Amino acid sequence: MKGEPAERLDPRAIKVWRITGLLNLLPLLVGAGVAGWALMRYGDYSLFVAVLPMLAVLVLGGMIVGVAPGLRWRRWRYEIRPDEIDLQRGILWIERTLVPLARIQHVDTRQGPLQRRFGLSTVVFYTAAGPNQIPELSTPIAAEVRDRIAELTGEQDEL
Amino acid sequence: MSSERHLHPVAMLIGAVSTLRRWIGGLVLPGIVLLMSQGFSLRTVVLFLLAVIVVAMLAALWGFLSWRATTYVVTGNSFRLNRGVFQKSERTIPLDHVQSVDTVQGVIQRAFGVYEVRIETAGGGASEPDASLSALDRAAAQSLRREIEGSQRERVEDSEGRKVLRRLSTGDLLIAGATSGQIGVAFSLLAVGSQFFDNFLSDDFVRRLIETLAPNWLMLLLIFVPVGLLLAWFLAIAGTVLAYTDFTLSREGDFLYIKRGLLERREATIPLSRIQAIRVTEGLLRQPFGLAAVRVESAGYGEDAGVSTMLFPLLPHDEVQEFLAAATPEFAVNPALQKLPRRALRRYVFRAVVGYLILALVAAVAWFVVFGSVLGLLAFILVPPSALYGWLSYRDSGWAFEEDRLVVRYRSLGRKTAIAPRRRLQSREVARSPFQRRVRLATFVAEVASGSGGSGLRVTDLDAGAAETLAGNLGPHGASA
Repeated sequence: MKGEPAERLDPRAIKVWRITGLLNLLPLLVGAGVAGWALMRYGDYSLFVAVLPMLAVLVLGGMIVGVAPGLRWRRWRYEIRPDEIDLQRGILWIERTLVPLARIQHVDTRQGPLQRRFGLSTVVFYTAAGPNQIPELSTPIAAEVRDRIAELTGEQDEL
Repeated sequence: MSSERHLHPVAMLIGAVSTLRRWIGGLVLPGIVLLMSQGFSLRTVVLFLLAVIVVAMLAALWGFLSWRATTYVVTGNSFRLNRGVFQKSERTIPLDHVQSVDTVQGVIQRAFGVYEVRIETAGGGASEPDASLSALDRAAAQSLRREIEGSQRERVEDSEGRKVLRRLSTGDLLIAGATSGQIGVAFSLLAVGSQFFDNFLSDDFVRRLIETLAPNWLMLLLIFVPVGLLLAWFLAIAGTVLAYTDFTLSREGDFLYIKRGLLERREATIPLSRIQAIRVTEGLLRQPFGLAAVRVESAGYGEDAGVSTMLFPLLPHDEVQEFLAAATPEFAVNPALQKLPRRALRRYVFRAVVGYLILALVAAVAWFVVFGSVLGLLAFILVPPSALYGWLSYRDSGWAFEEDRLVVRYRSLGRKTAIAPRRRLQSREVARSPFQRRVRLATFVAEVASGSGGSGLRVTDLDAGAAETLAGNLGPHGASA
């Protein structure tokens, strides 16, 4: 296996991940608030105990919103080689995936509402064993990557 | 050749029976209520019989109507099936989408010497439904098969006739049942069954029965557990006999044919070109006797078989290579495996033990708190066997890449060997956890296509460098690089 894949995701990915992290955290935040309120109202605990759930959620939130997106972006790399797609990802568990272009059946780009605001897109390519994706590329680059994969896939000699 | 054909008239009977089966659920409850409320007076019995007759006649009529409405035809490049009494439906399957034409003989079909023909389509799964013709006589089934398969040209030229590769003898069948390791499944079935039984008999009766049979719980345990196990074992054997009686594997050109079953004879076709991987399993009860089973993983084959199909349920492990060379030559390799590095052993044992350790600890503490005795420490008895299992898993694990095929061996209860040619691999992945990184180990996974989604050939905790080299070598130009 060669060295790390060359290309990185778009830096705006970090912002998108922060926002999605925050949105995912909201129910937990509300839950912690309710739990704290219940502790004070029905459990007769002091304020210091009651803020503990909220504190825990905030620490978790700091990790998810503050720390993880940067680490994730720094790890995420991809490269479209003439015969293979090379992906590297994962914060603690580092995964490296190699997909031969000859196995790829079709390629999509997709864009969620949040991604649209930031001008980002995700490239998804399918083999007979399931999908793989390269998330958060700037939309023109995503289109380029998609077309390149499709073109290279067509060129492969079946082996 | 392009005339619409009907099914064999037995289809009426089959349709009627299956309709009855569907209705009976709705009939049972009112019937019982009727009998209960009125007692077994002559009037209710007559009324009940009358209802049964009316329902049977309706079902028969329905069977006739649906038989009349069902026609099939092969025209040009497609197979068409018309069905439906009130709501007409017409299904067209392009012939080049047909994956296989299987015949199945259920009990009714066997009695009348007809066949159910199932047409399975490729790559569709749930979205592209298959067609099933419930009764065709032998000639019609064969001619339909010829018409559909004839369109796949390579078959016609390659007609040296089917060659039987291996047949399961009655002795082997029984051994396969006895060592199938399905006891667990059968046991849970029994448990469900006994619960059902409990509901039927009154609690009082059961209690008295138990009290007379076994005065204390130890006695009860000593009687019921072995009896239960024995029953489960027989159930497992019966299940195997039902499914695998007269299991015959034959090959003609690029197609494998499997025939099996006691009451319901099943015949299945597997095109060699669709086989993605082979898994040889030496079950816990079979490995000591040098026995193994062989399964194939094929892509999008039928709706259920997408995962894996039994290729042969029992054969001596020594003969597996020879067997594969005859049946699926693409997969016949037997290289010496690369073993895992010594430093992986600790991780294997840890993974096997840690769950039990936590469980045992919790059990012991809970026991101490609740009963105040240290008897809970007995839970730790499970720890040494699981450590042994971890050691075994480590010892059995290995991999090889030779003659352009990837071979992976691992243990999940039984010892399993998976074989896949490089050109069937959909992707390769090397994953490293923080703990693995510290000791330069990695997990390697190669995905093959199988049914819905993929299925992996996995090596856990091989040397990180070796994993990267392996992933590289398995690439498109791996053989030269």
